[in-house]
Amino acid sequence: MPHRNGSGSQVRHYSILEYARFRWFKTSLGLCAIAAAAYLWHDPVPHPYGGTWLGYTLGTAGAILIAWLLWYGVRKRRYAAAGNLQGWLSAHVYLGTALVVIVTLHTGFQLAWNIHTLAYVLMLLVVASGFYGVFAYLRVPRAMTANLGDDSIASLVMRIADLDRDMREKAMSLPDTLFSLVDRSIAGTRLGGSARRLLSGRDDACPTAGAARDWPSQASALKGDPAILGKEVFGLLLRKEQLLVRARRALRYQAILDFWLYLHVPLAFMLLAALAAHVASVFIYW
Amino acid sequence: MKVLVLHSAPRAGGRSSVVRKTVNAEWVRIGRNASCEIHLADPRIALEQGMIVNRDGLVYLEGEAGSQDISRKAVRAVRMKPGEPIDIGPYRMELIATPQGYDAAVSVSLLRPRETVADLGSRSARQTLASLGFSKRGAAWIGLLVVLAAFLFFPAGRVLHLPWSGGGSDRMWNPGPVMLAHQPIADRCEACHETAFEHVTDRACLACHATVGHHVSVAMRAGMLFDGVRCASCHREHKGVKPVQRDDDRFCIDCHRAIHAQAPDAHVKDTSDFARSHPAFVLSVRDPHLAFPHDKHLDPHGVRSPKRGRPRLDCADCHVPDASKRMFEPISMARACQECHRLDIEPAVTTREVPHGDPRAAVAMIEEFYAALALNGVADSFTRAFGVPGEGLLRRVGTPSTGERQDALRLATRKAAAVASDLFEVRVCKTCHEVKRQSAPGAKTPEWSVAPVSTTNRWMPRARFDHHAHERTPCKECHDVARSKSSRDVSMPGIDACRRCHAGSSPQEGKVTSSCLLCHGFHDARFAWDPRLAKAIAK
Repeated sequence: MPHRNGSGSQVRHYSILEYARFRWFKTSLGLCAIAAAAYLWHDPVPHPYGGTWLGYTLGTAGAILIAWLLWYGVRKRRYAAAGNLQGWLSAHVYLGTALVVIVTLHTGFQLAWNIHTLAYVLMLLVVASGFYGVFAYLRVPRAMTANLGDDSIASLVMRIADLDRDMREKAMSLPDTLFSLVDRSIAGTRLGGSARRLLSGRDDACPTAGAARDWPSQASALKGDPAILGKEVFGLLLRKEQLLVRARRALRYQAILDFWLYLHVPLAFMLLAALAAHVASVFIYW
Repeated sequence: MKVLVLHSAPRAGGRSSVVRKTVNAEWVRIGRNASCEIHLADPRIALEQGMIVNRDGLVYLEGEAGSQDISRKAVRAVRMKPGEPIDIGPYRMELIATPQGYDAAVSVSLLRPRETVADLGSRSARQTLASLGFSKRGAAWIGLLVVLAAFLFFPAGRVLHLPWSGGGSDRMWNPGPVMLAHQPIADRCEACHETAFEHVTDRACLACHATVGHHVSVAMRAGMLFDGVRCASCHREHKGVKPVQRDDDRFCIDCHRAIHAQAPDAHVKDTSDFARSHPAFVLSVRDPHLAFPHDKHLDPHGVRSPKRGRPRLDCADCHVPDASKRMFEPISMARACQECHRLDIEPAVTTREVPHGDPRAAVAMIEEFYAALALNGVADSFTRAFGVPGEGLLRRVGTPSTGERQDALRLATRKAAAVASDLFEVRVCKTCHEVKRQSAPGAKTPEWSVAPVSTTNRWMPRARFDHHAHERTPCKECHDVARSKSSRDVSMPGIDACRRCHAGSSPQEGKVTSSCLLCHGFHDARFAWDPRLAKAIAK
């Protein structure tokens, strides 16, 4: 997405996928090509599997890659380490993708119900969650900016609090039924608080939405000044609801950006354990 | 009515401020509504809670359920007096001293402050997944430890003899099913994997497969041939229920392409492909010491049979598949020949036959037969056998004299010798066998030797040929014996006959792709895999 920087010159935003002119994409493609060529050339008896010399080679390459990919979690917390983090992330993404090819060839497509296939499946799940993370990081920040603009969640909350005060004062002069709608909206509206609400960006029991929905029918009996006041309060309610929608959407985007890591990281550590068990069992029963 | 309203509101710091308001009206309304003269902005107060009217002094009126419509029915009417405050919800109202220029003065104060409703911010504290108590690190540790425990430490207990080895199962480590023959020991990993972190040794295989042969002799193996090659180098386990072993030509050709570079003493020629570079077949040829003309037996007009007239014979009349159906039973006289080639002692006298395979037994039987006839034969048989009228010695009336006995013995002995000579040298044995008289001419008991027959049942002992697999091919395609007059004729096909249908390891149209192992085996029973080990196991 092109945008202007402070000095006014046009700069292009490079995603991590394009880092250094697709250096890591090309590297990974090369790795996959070498592995695939070796796999096709190699003709073991009775069929390809992890225990041939190529199988051991691909397995070793896969294990080293997994260790290196895990190291990214350490690297990203170190500010003074070698290489820039953008490059590391780009390499992490592309080499993680190459890992699928290398490890699949390592298996020789010999899968069963055992620790070896468990390690393979965990590897696939880690990479799949990582793909989702890449997708989220490419899509969500843009949507986040479009949603929040110059606001932040905190500023939205402050603006809603302002509306609440205004609404409360104005609603004081309205009949109890209407006032209670406003009161419930003020006292009962909440943001976040459960994984479901965070990830869906909705609150099905939101009293503000309920108030906005019920208001027209409840306020239809008002006449004269209260009717004008009622319209004003309704306007405030609708503005509040708009702000809530934006705030909840912002929380949802944030949660999406967080959520996949709650899968990616624990699955990666389970993979590490399964890999250890896989390697140990293979060499115990060599 | 001009009323002064003193509305005291609490402020921060425990103090309160007083708002003074002058109301000049017929009545003073009290309520939450901003249009009320005494405006109590508090949700606990009704929109129009009540009103103060002047009826010879101030009276506070409250409508039904706090309704504005107090004209109809007042539920509460209190005459206001100084020192007698009235509670209106959380507020207290009291008549106070009337200042100058007013008709009355009322003070309103808040008794119980409203609980402040927390704003949205306080209900928005948990905005992230982390704030909900989810922990990546916690989940990572739990996942790591659960997988390690369930899939590494638990199963490792058995093989590494850890304290929980009794309950552990390492079945989840099994990379694939074992072949059917090994399934009884599939769960006893240690039957093959004797030591952790070590390859399966040949010793483990030979514990059961003790008699398996190697490919070359121990002497040849000493020269680094097959160094480092284990049983498991070729025989792969955990690859499914069918046995799986190396059967690719590369495995053979690596050495046999230039075999003498690897094994200078090898007695075989170089080969790399059946179609292109296979040496001619080497046959196991020897003199069969048997007169057998195939042409006479396969005469299209048939052969003479004592019982069946002139049947036409074909190959299967004599060559019967063995139990494996791959090869044939060795030809036996009793099954294949004797129906026609009877071993009659003397067809004109008896249907009895001499035993086959033992010349002495045959001679003895002939002697016994004629001796018995001389002793006990009825007149008819006696006359036919010996050519003179008479009957067996014991059948004559009276006790035979010494002369008669000697005559009978001489008769029997002479006749037996003549029949035996005829049988061995003319009529029966000589037909097929190389017969040689061992005894001097005129010896009382003649002896013959018959050259032992040595027919060849396996002409190519280093190759496997499956006749069953070739049963749709007529015999004569490979074995052209119709004009063979001697059993010394060799009727085995040459390699070209095989190549008519068999290609090498690379496919050819209309031909069977043929690897080395299609015809050849690796293991040779002549060479024990490990002579020392075989002996140790035998003990």
